[in-house]
Amino acid sequence: MTGRAEFIARIRREVSKTPGLFGASTAPRPADPATAAETIRRELAERWPEALERFRTEFERIAGVFHRVPDLAAVPAAIGAIARGYGAKSLVTWDPTALGFDAAPALTREGLDVVAARAGQEDEAARLRHRERAAQAQVGVTGADFVLAETGTLILLSGSGRPRSTSLLPDVHVAVFGRDRLLETLEQVGVMLEALHASPDRAMSGAMINFITGPSRTADIELTLTRGVHGPKEVHAVFVEAP
Amino acid sequence: MSDALLRTPFPERAGAALKDTFLQEALKIATTKFIDLRKESFAGFPQGEALRDRARAIKEATLQHLDVHLERLADNVERLGGHVHWATTAEEAREMVLRLCRDRGVRMAVKSKSMATEEIDLNEALEHAGVAPVETDLGEYIIQLAHEKPSHIIAPAIHKTKGQVAELFSRELRGEFPADPEILTAVARKALREKFLQADMGITGANFAVADTGTVVLVTNEGNGRMVTSLPRIHVALMGVEKVIPSMTDLVVFLAILARSATGQKLSSYTTLVRGPRRAGELEGPEEFHLILLDNGRSRQIASTLREALYCLRCGACLNVCPVYRQIGGHAYGYTYPGPIGILLTAMLKGNESVRELAHASSLCGACKDVCPVRIDIPRMLVELREHLDREKIAPWTERVVFKAFRRLLLSPTAFRLSATIGRWAQRPFVRNGRLRGLPLVFGRWTKTRDLRPVAARTFRERWKELR
Repeated sequence: MTGRAEFIARIRREVSKTPGLFGASTAPRPADPATAAETIRRELAERWPEALERFRTEFERIAGVFHRVPDLAAVPAAIGAIARGYGAKSLVTWDPTALGFDAAPALTREGLDVVAARAGQEDEAARLRHRERAAQAQVGVTGADFVLAETGTLILLSGSGRPRSTSLLPDVHVAVFGRDRLLETLEQVGVMLEALHASPDRAMSGAMINFITGPSRTADIELTLTRGVHGPKEVHAVFVEAP
Repeated sequence: MSDALLRTPFPERAGAALKDTFLQEALKIATTKFIDLRKESFAGFPQGEALRDRARAIKEATLQHLDVHLERLADNVERLGGHVHWATTAEEAREMVLRLCRDRGVRMAVKSKSMATEEIDLNEALEHAGVAPVETDLGEYIIQLAHEKPSHIIAPAIHKTKGQVAELFSRELRGEFPADPEILTAVARKALREKFLQADMGITGANFAVADTGTVVLVTNEGNGRMVTSLPRIHVALMGVEKVIPSMTDLVVFLAILARSATGQKLSSYTTLVRGPRRAGELEGPEEFHLILLDNGRSRQIASTLREALYCLRCGACLNVCPVYRQIGGHAYGYTYPGPIGILLTAMLKGNESVRELAHASSLCGACKDVCPVRIDIPRMLVELREHLDREKIAPWTERVVFKAFRRLLLSPTAFRLSATIGRWAQRPFVRNGRLRGLPLVFGRWTKTRDLRPVAARTFRERWKELR
């Protein structure tokens, strides 16, 4: 087996044969990611309606279903309508503290079976139990940490109370977000990711970041586009107007 | 690829593909569709051209300091609690995965599509060691059940009809399934969902790895990449060393052009950033994360002829536009990586001798270079490769003699003039309908499959003289 030192030495030897072969550079990075991120946030605080329209257009183009509700209080009813529309009986959700709302009481009253992930839960038994519930549920409810207008993309960070399977195992994924999550371009996402990794509390978030651009899809059989091959067949974005 | 297939000479493999009428139809439809999707996607994206330049520059700059970026990547992966392994050869990489399987009692491994694992023939090795490898990308799953190899980098099963898939699923999964892509996809979803939940290990490749943050990035459409990195207790990622990029800022440059080049999407359905094993407080995710860095002939090319092939993103765009690939498909190439870029990658991984025939499976039209998201100069490298084959006396002697004679002709104006006169006289018996056909001797190998233009009645030089 090759060790790291030997492996790197070989690469270094080859690299040293190419002094100044190309004058290329990497992409220019923000000197201070936190400040750059803050600037983007400030600009978006003004421009969010345009970003939202763009998101809606792009999201619908890739078969996403867009919803708009006035405030958090209206969210459970919107989720209930989506669940009924799909004929769903059970839902899994992120931890209410991660979501910013608790949809369980209202949905349970409608006769739906709701399982919420709990922050801090991480033992083996809880893991298996949750996975089983997520695999059986027809609807998964999450937030979204960034919402990218340019491509109609929902960006989700995993973490405590934010299981990665909620947006993956159920047939229908519902992501709820407000105006402060909107971004316009991939370039801005780059800045946000730089800022996220430069911040001292990065250990707080989980090990996975997912960019979700529409439902799961394949065209592997005779190039026929088919949705929901492994992941969700439907993706819904619920925009909450109230700041 | 099987040795039996490679023992057949390339012209015969290509000939068989040309006679396969279904393959011909499937290739035409698939490649044309991919070309249109790509074109449409870049048409509405004016900044695309500048981003392609940017992406190329990032690849150049990263290779220039590859040692530094790899060490940085390794340090950061370890800081996040992952393990890093260094594999000089395919065999070492296989051995590392097998050892992990042995040590951790792994019985089944679910895989998301990875050309790097194809390159090292990992599935065969796993099966041999009693570990069941399950391909979970729908196309890869189909060809695994059929015991075949991928025929396109991003659409591995384009050579199969829905009827063939229905037959295959009915036999292998015990059922009666109609030839309906939607139903067949649902059948695969159900069968593979069980595997995802049962498997002990998830194996992936990597589209990128960000050195700064120790992040492995997977770009997928089906969601299987997310499954294999979220559900099993161990995640192993295998990547060629050239996949490392410096920062998150660099990553978004590549993301903006990768899916557009491959399928014409703005972004693929899923871009998954893996930052080591699951963290404290996290309910899901693997408890162990292993990153295997694979050299397998790559580092030799950093300062050599095939350097630019190390920029490749594996998007498949050059396959779709290649007049040779469009005719013969991926299998006829005979190796893991098909198409124009595949010839170069094969030479890189298996040595120049392995492509003595394939180096000529290109018209040098340059369509590949035009669509390549990082503008890899594939035609130039193919010419250089042919030159190497000649210099290393790997090319057949007849070819070497003919080209040497041709070189002499081109270097001497008198000889060139004379050859036109002789040629005009000598070609007479072979000109039919304004084309040269059925030439004798070694030249006949050209005219057997192609027509040649005859020497003109009056050459340009002769006309030029009169015009002056």
